[in-house]
Amino acid sequence: MRPEFFGIIRSPFLWGVIVLFAVLGQWASPYHLGIATQTMLYIALALAWAIVGGFAGQLSIAHNVFVALGALLASALFLRLGINMWVGLVLCAALSALIGVFFAYLDSKFSLGHLSFALVTLAFGEVGMLIVAGWDFVGGASGLSLPRDQGRLLNFEFGGARGYFWAALALATVYLLINYAILHSRLGFYLRTLRDNEAAAQAVGVYPFRNKAIAMAISAAMTSVAGTLYARFSNFVDPSFLASPTLSIEIILIATIGGLTTPLGPAVAAIVLVPFSELLRGWLGGQLPGLSHIIYGFLIVAVILASPRGLVPLLVKIFRQRGGKDVATISMQKGA
Amino acid sequence: MDLFLQALSQGILVGGTYALIALGMAVIFSVSGMLNFAHGDFLLIGMYLAYAVFLSLNLDPYLSVLITFPVMCLAGAGLYVFLLKRLGASHLLMAVQLTLGLSFIAQNTLLLTFGGEPIRVPSVVETDLLLVGNVIIRTPQLIAFFAALLLSAAFYATLNFTDAGRRVRAVQQQPRAAALIGINVPLVRTLTFALGIGVLAIAAVLIIPGTSMAPAHGLRWTVIALITVVLGGMTNFVGIFIGALLIGASESLATLYVSGTLGMIVPYALFIALVLFRPEGILKRT
Repeated sequence: MRPEFFGIIRSPFLWGVIVLFAVLGQWASPYHLGIATQTMLYIALALAWAIVGGFAGQLSIAHNVFVALGALLASALFLRLGINMWVGLVLCAALSALIGVFFAYLDSKFSLGHLSFALVTLAFGEVGMLIVAGWDFVGGASGLSLPRDQGRLLNFEFGGARGYFWAALALATVYLLINYAILHSRLGFYLRTLRDNEAAAQAVGVYPFRNKAIAMAISAAMTSVAGTLYARFSNFVDPSFLASPTLSIEIILIATIGGLTTPLGPAVAAIVLVPFSELLRGWLGGQLPGLSHIIYGFLIVAVILASPRGLVPLLVKIFRQRGGKDVATISMQKGA
Repeated sequence: MDLFLQALSQGILVGGTYALIALGMAVIFSVSGMLNFAHGDFLLIGMYLAYAVFLSLNLDPYLSVLITFPVMCLAGAGLYVFLLKRLGASHLLMAVQLTLGLSFIAQNTLLLTFGGEPIRVPSVVETDLLLVGNVIIRTPQLIAFFAALLLSAAFYATLNFTDAGRRVRAVQQQPRAAALIGINVPLVRTLTFALGIGVLAIAAVLIIPGTSMAPAHGLRWTVIALITVVLGGMTNFVGIFIGALLIGASESLATLYVSGTLGMIVPYALFIALVLFRPEGILKRT
């Protein structure tokens, strides 16, 4: 762990923002709290994806498999076998990590390269969707409904809109810290050297498989945990949303729009885009479905053409040119 | 046995169209190193264009290709000139993210314009059947197969035996050297993109009779094209054609012998197995 990490976790700016969110949550209506919770969960998903997609440069389109495992399998284990969802959460996270390691194994065994990796994981993402749709134990194509939340924390119930907002905020905060920890740790440096030049990294003694497997396992487990919380938060576990590769793509676009060189990128992008698309859906009330995805699409095209590293690094650069110095600047200097 | 033959013939016929779609993707990949993750969505745009032409002019899909083909060619050229060309060769992953973004735009624009309900477009031959022995063959599928076979052969011949094809292959093998001997590399790439996307307009009208379309199908078509291209060995066009027939046949046989949705997984399982055991594709690179 490098000193920069402790600089970031002591940053008053970061904690100020998190406390601000927590305080705002006190006054928000259940409708807005729901949107805020969803935003926090998307932050968590985008940050989890960024560990492989950003640091390791492995564009995984199979992350919907991990979300589906965490959401659907943990719910199914609870509903069908009566297994406590905390236990299910751990089991599914472990299973996701194993599958993640398998992806990393495929990658190293067949030296897939970044492009083929994206391709193979897309096939796996599609297979995951089909397996879910054909497997009645996890609800098939119709999904699962979890029983009403009674606020018993031991049963993985967080009691109402505010409870889930706290849980999601805590999860997003922990994931942000994990991302910073990895960014500034040995693993983070290894992953970035592997991303930029695998042959050169190997020449100086960085093991591709071991490091990518660790990154993939961490990312998969984190994604699965976020999936379980998503399932409990939304009560109805909808496979056409949680198991679809479209969710993977959505996560990728959000993370990339924000920028993958700093953990702030995916987080800030999710904070802006998710409430925007949810509020837009609320205003239009079912009219013009898919408009927010069209906007995501145009945004990613604009961002890639104008500032391929993402929006947050661009903002940081502008900020730094004006002589400012903040948590983002510090992390950018050391991180990217 | 009859059932088996029935499923097999149908699968192979469908595979022909898959080959056409995959060839469009492969030829783009071969000259630019970019994989178009919005390929299936472009195919759907082609299908909905044919539908729009049918609605406004009451033109049979087979005839509307005269209108949709040039439009799709322009779209392909535009995709390269205005978007992917600007990325440069060092940003191949950016191309993935960009085309994923395009797929979101295309899919949801279709959803806004035509709605999410599956649509069928009538055609003159839609219900025609042919009886060979005990096997029933649907005429549109037969037309689709032979059109695809013809186009693929024309593709192959053009690439291998004409100067235009040699230019494309030169850009594929060594863009820099190709530029040095006076080949206009951006022009070759633009034309290839135009053709690779344009061919989707033809594939679209071949698929339309007897198939329903919905905006959400795009990703599935993209995946089919991707796995076919990989099966064939990325730039080996004969391999891609055979791979497409394999995918079509396995898909059709699997829905016959494996129950429900799990049958749909068989082509993907085949793909994953082949990637594991023959990463160079089903045919060795020529």
